[in-house]
Amino acid sequence: MDMVTTLLLAFISIVIINNLVFTKFLGICPYLGVSGRIDMAFGMGMAVTFVVTLSGTMTWMIDNWILMKLGLEVTRYVCFILVIAGAVQLVEMYVRKFFPSLYDSFGIFLPLITTNCAILGLCLFINLWEVDSLIEAVVLSFGAGIGFTMAICIMAGIRENLNLADVPDCLKGAPITLITAGLLALAFMGFAGMIR
Amino acid sequence: MADESQPTTALYKQTLLAGLWRENPVFRLLLGMCPTLAVTAAVKPAFTMGCCVIFVLVCSNIIVSLMRNLLKPHLRILMFTLTIATFVTIADLFLKAFVPRMSETLGPYVPLIIVNCIIICRAEACASKNPLLVSIIDALGMGAGFTLTLCVLASIRELLSTGMIFEVQVMPDAFVPWAAMSMPVGAFITLGLLLGLVNIISRSRS
Amino acid sequence: MSKIKHFIEQSWLLIVASFAFGLLIAVADASLDARIKQNEKDKLNNMMKSLIADAKDFQLAIDQVQIEDATTTDVYKAVGKDGAGIGFAFVGAGGGFADKIKLVIAVDGRCEKFLGFKVLSSNETPGFGSKIAIDKPDSDVDFVDQFKGAPAGEVELIKTGRLDVIRKIDSQIVAISRATVSSEAVVRIFNTYTEEIKKQLQQKGLISDGG
Repeated sequence: MDMVTTLLLAFISIVIINNLVFTKFLGICPYLGVSGRIDMAFGMGMAVTFVVTLSGTMTWMIDNWILMKLGLEVTRYVCFILVIAGAVQLVEMYVRKFFPSLYDSFGIFLPLITTNCAILGLCLFINLWEVDSLIEAVVLSFGAGIGFTMAICIMAGIRENLNLADVPDCLKGAPITLITAGLLALAFMGFAGMIR
Repeated sequence: MADESQPTTALYKQTLLAGLWRENPVFRLLLGMCPTLAVTAAVKPAFTMGCCVIFVLVCSNIIVSLMRNLLKPHLRILMFTLTIATFVTIADLFLKAFVPRMSETLGPYVPLIIVNCIIICRAEACASKNPLLVSIIDALGMGAGFTLTLCVLASIRELLSTGMIFEVQVMPDAFVPWAAMSMPVGAFITLGLLLGLVNIISRSRS
Repeated sequence: MSKIKHFIEQSWLLIVASFAFGLLIAVADASLDARIKQNEKDKLNNMMKSLIADAKDFQLAIDQVQIEDATTTDVYKAVGKDGAGIGFAFVGAGGGFADKIKLVIAVDGRCEKFLGFKVLSSNETPGFGSKIAIDKPDSDVDFVDQFKGAPAGEVELIKTGRLDVIRKIDSQIVAISRATVSSEAVVRIFNTYTEEIKKQLQQKGLISDGG
């Protein structure tokens, strides 16, 4: 029961309290670029969730079972980025072959995801937080993806309405999105301290 | 960007200045936003991050420019990534060895330079097509522009959230610090407003 | 055979580059590794030194003290000029408002009084919870100072304090206003760790009456 509670708390904490976009500033580039419409935003979010769960798990396994055992921690960053690039390729091939309809809805985002800082960032944070168990790494990775999806969908909803508002010329596009993201970050700060 | 036959000093100057304003990586190209928001709570970490990015940019541009005729098209992104990852690892080791406190403050954002779009974009757009000297100057220009941007953003945030710049007290004692500036809110809103300002300036010029 | 040849033809640069880069990283690592390890050791030592000013050296007193819920910590003995033990220091950690708080706590040689604490790492709200790291006596932030000289045992957090209550050195600690949770976290860390460490020190006979 204890394990389940820990995992549940870890999941909630990374989705809401330590949301990758609003507290750790990860994934801002796609966040600004793709949050124009809700369907695109959701597609991007799902693609990110897919890849980040796979990468987070694989990098944890490689780090704990291979790199630390052999004392090769200095090659950590190189290994991580290679694993992530490989994972993205794998996911793209797999999805294109076995789920063609799914590929049509979010396949175009997959190549963009390799340079998404959220993926590498999450792998590094899992390393920084000294996560001990594989299952916790899986839950955290999945939660990070869900958190990103939630953040990007909220932003897409707001932006669809912003299109109809009277935004000053100089602020159209990225500036107003950033300011909105700031206000969202402020709102999400209210969740801090929820789990002690 | 240039033809390989006769790069002139005018071209060098243009390349160098482009990174500072006309093609400023953060304000105009909207690249590298993640570290811009994350490390600009104070000027010291921002400056350190800027220097790391300059180091990695210059080294990776040198290597890519030297290899540019040997690259196979479908493997080039992998080569770029490998090069950048190597130099970021070296930069990280240097930080940990010589400025450990700064390394702790910057934390995981140093290895995130690997996925910083600026470096891969410059490798792809410039270094893989230009001779060595042009690539180096482009790297210096972009790096300087990035560092300048980070420092401007960081000075505003640090000034308003602690009354100090580079840990030197600037604001009078009566100033009540705006704690929000050191939190994510302040980061997003300041960058958004700065981008708006840059848009106003560039539109009034053209 | 031709397939392998084709493969090598396409990727020879990659293979050569991988070796070259690997070599570069290995060289950098080998030359800087000692320095990095020294930095990590120095960090803890410097913090402990700032709490116990007269200490010349720190020795590991007890390795891996088991605190409740599976956390362990090491206890260091501060050795003075003449080789006598003048205090003990240990790292305590616990959940704060935003994230984990790590403190270095120092007690005197007989484990009777706290000598103070320093924050190793914390992520509390800037301007509010972050005040647990400010050590400026006589300012309006008087949290850290209250621990110096407090009896080494159970400390209690109270919320209302007039100046005479704050200045009195006893086991009642007045919380930082508007940062109750962070203050409570610090007090909780003190209480969780001190009890067990005091017991272990007594068991191992490291606290003597002449110390």
